[in-house]
Amino acid sequence: MGENIFTGIAESLRAFLYGAGVPPLASELIVLIVKLLAVIIFVSLNVVWLVYMERKIAAYIQCRIGPNRVGPKGLLQTVADVVKLLAKEIIIPRRVDKVVYLAAPILVFVPPMLAFAVIPWGDGMAPIDLNIGVFYILAVGSLSTIIFWMGGWSSNNKYSLVGGMRVVAQMVSYELPLVLSLLGVIMLTGTLSITEIVNAQRGTWFIFAQPLAFLIYFIAGVSEVNRVPFDLVEGESEIIAGPYTEYSGMAYAMYMLAEYGNMMVISCMCTIMFLGGWLAPFGWTFLPSWFWFFIKVYLMIFIFMWIRWTYPRIRVDQLLGFGWKVLVPLSLANIFVTGVGMYIYRAIGW
Amino acid sequence: MFGQGLLKGLAITWKELFTRKVTVQYPEEKIPLPERYHGRFELDVDKCIACGLCANACPNKVIQITREKVGKKQYLTRYVMRIEYCMFCGFCVESCNKGALRFSHVINMNQYFRDKVRLVLVDRPVPEVLPEEEPAKAADGSPAETRGKTARAEVAAGKAPGKEG
Amino acid sequence: MKTQTYVLNMGPQHPSTHGVFRIILELDGEVVVKATSVPGYLHRGIEKLAEARTYTQVIPYTDRMDYLASMLMNWGYVAAVEKLMGVEVPERAEYIRVIVGELSRIASHLVAVGTYSVDIGGFTGFLYCFRDRERVLDLLEMVSGSRMTFSYFRIGGVADDLPPEFFPPLQKFLKDLPSLCDEYDGLITGNEIFQARTKYVGIITPEMGIKYSLSGPVLRGSGIPYDLRKVRPYGVYDRFDFEVPVGKNGDCFDRFVCRIKEIRQSARIIQQAIEGLPEGPIMAKVPKVIKPPAGEAYAEIESSKGILGCYVVSDGSTKPYRVHFRRPSFINLGYLDELLVGWKIADVIAILGSLDIVLGEVDC
Repeated sequence: MGENIFTGIAESLRAFLYGAGVPPLASELIVLIVKLLAVIIFVSLNVVWLVYMERKIAAYIQCRIGPNRVGPKGLLQTVADVVKLLAKEIIIPRRVDKVVYLAAPILVFVPPMLAFAVIPWGDGMAPIDLNIGVFYILAVGSLSTIIFWMGGWSSNNKYSLVGGMRVVAQMVSYELPLVLSLLGVIMLTGTLSITEIVNAQRGTWFIFAQPLAFLIYFIAGVSEVNRVPFDLVEGESEIIAGPYTEYSGMAYAMYMLAEYGNMMVISCMCTIMFLGGWLAPFGWTFLPSWFWFFIKVYLMIFIFMWIRWTYPRIRVDQLLGFGWKVLVPLSLANIFVTGVGMYIYRAIGW
Repeated sequence: MFGQGLLKGLAITWKELFTRKVTVQYPEEKIPLPERYHGRFELDVDKCIACGLCANACPNKVIQITREKVGKKQYLTRYVMRIEYCMFCGFCVESCNKGALRFSHVINMNQYFRDKVRLVLVDRPVPEVLPEEEPAKAADGSPAETRGKTARAEVAAGKAPGKEG
Repeated sequence: MKTQTYVLNMGPQHPSTHGVFRIILELDGEVVVKATSVPGYLHRGIEKLAEARTYTQVIPYTDRMDYLASMLMNWGYVAAVEKLMGVEVPERAEYIRVIVGELSRIASHLVAVGTYSVDIGGFTGFLYCFRDRERVLDLLEMVSGSRMTFSYFRIGGVADDLPPEFFPPLQKFLKDLPSLCDEYDGLITGNEIFQARTKYVGIITPEMGIKYSLSGPVLRGSGIPYDLRKVRPYGVYDRFDFEVPVGKNGDCFDRFVCRIKEIRQSARIIQQAIEGLPEGPIMAKVPKVIKPPAGEAYAEIESSKGILGCYVVSDGSTKPYRVHFRRPSFINLGYLDELLVGWKIADVIAILGSLDIVLGEVDC
């Protein structure tokens, strides 16, 4: 029930276009654009919801109530905040690199948006089913480094500069374990297509086959999205707000919202690669596949937030040391063990 | 070590996620103020003998008293507290021998304009009734005395600044 | 490759300098080459103001020094004037002073623990500490009528007796306190990331601690059990049974742990003080107008930050000729510049936080 809502809509749209005599190529294009627009709108709304969710979870962990004045249960709080920030002036300090300074907050939303284009939201619900989806997401994901650094460099502020340099150091060193940990899964499935990876988990989810890889991916993912305990980039108590120090109004809000977008991407990837994507656990197919996908994604997001409001921040040299000395060797060992295991598996001919 | 403390921290925050929240939603709910709370000042005009001890006790010279000598007695005409300089230490209340100056439980003394901050507790003219006659009347408890008392109380209450702007 | 150091001006507006404090850091990348601390942004001239006030009128100003432990600040000043006048404080007043003083110490240490947690980056510990500090403030509010600047002490005693409704919530708080401390220990102290950030960072050796005249948890963190309440008991502190917690390495972690342990010890002292609270007057026989004989006196008490000394000179008039405060935060800060060299920006915050300064006290 409800399983085919979204695919059904796409099918009927396609059928309608076919009936109206639109050539197949053009109708495909229109359907694709509609799909992507739907994803963009959904992601934007979801980010607004995530900000609210984060604030509520933080409040409940800290024995507070959290936003509860604007709208029912405070649900419109983020909307009100965004409207307020939209009305605020974007201050451009003297001697900033204006073009880069203004481009950075606009561009910062691009990498997560690009990544969402290939995420399968349910069974057969990937807007674009790329056969190198995993590779694409990793490539796009590492783009945000440059954008954060642009903001940090152009602000002409020492705190921003320190923050920007931290972004580069952190993201470069954590990109490696992030990619290497996924390699285990890719070795098992032998494909880079996201849909096929999910389908390969019909038997067991890869979190059970590759627990170490999951842990490494999760830790590196937390670092990728700059959240506690790896939020050195923002490092509020040390370097004010890192690259965002000089930003105000909506430009600042864009960075904040993009953080949630990135968190969504990492959670989606965790779900797809390790938690069985849209597959229902224990054969509980009474809920539609996209619903299962969201349950899993939100579970991951909750864990992100839970950790965010529990842990203190790590220091920059410890962060780099942990990345290079612990996570990279561990992920390499994981690849080695996986490879040996697969070889033995095949030799036995099970 | 090795993640034990990390897991314990998570367990603590997980537990707190479901404990009772301590927020008091201010305008709707209020924390009961203790007996001795240092809120806005109130002055019982009838008890005040305009001795000026409170003004002397104040470290910041917040209290300004204007009094006029009517006959033998001091008559308080104006009692102003420059509340913007007040530290709410309570020395004035403590110094008052007659118990005329007290703390109330009013906490919102905020004003939108600086000149409205000043707290005027008494502002009244010298009465036409001569003070020499008054004690005589008060002795037999004539209605004139009580009338005068209520009128004065109204004046005192009316001058307490409300929030404006 | 030619590299260059740069100057980072940390503060006076900065989230983690605990107020308006400024450190000019010369950095090589993220490593501190040279640090120059610039206090003075909160200077209000309390010592000078005191010269134009009567002896009693100085008390509210002492509140504004270490506004997190106002009771103890009151105590330091009042003790000096009492010494000058030779006043014998009644026993009940001494016990009340111990109770409210230790409560104030708990409140102050809770802020220290909480803000240190937020300095390291964990915001939740901060709010837990403030949630519990609120209960201490409620108690002190019942006694004095204020939540922060109490002005509760008087020369020769205290302003008011403890109200009867004060005791049940106090008992409940004392009962809850160990479990609350366990919560902080679990959430903050036991956390491996926290330990990695604070252990072996900003080490103060016992020798340097003594040389720089450090005091309070900053000194005790280095392993020197020097607590005025124990080594030179004032008031009635010699009647209570408590321990002086000390650290081993003298690093940020030890200083932090010392504070949590001191909270537990303070609870013990309060418990004993309630049980031994005698009946009697709360004010000594002092004249209405305080006019100490010409002379000078210096009294010290153990405040939450360290040794608070107060030096009062009288010329025989109703106003002090000179008042000087030895503020522990300020003295502890003297070692900062040297301590910071060689550490990273993140450690600067960790070290500064572990010294637990209050800018009202530093700048006075």
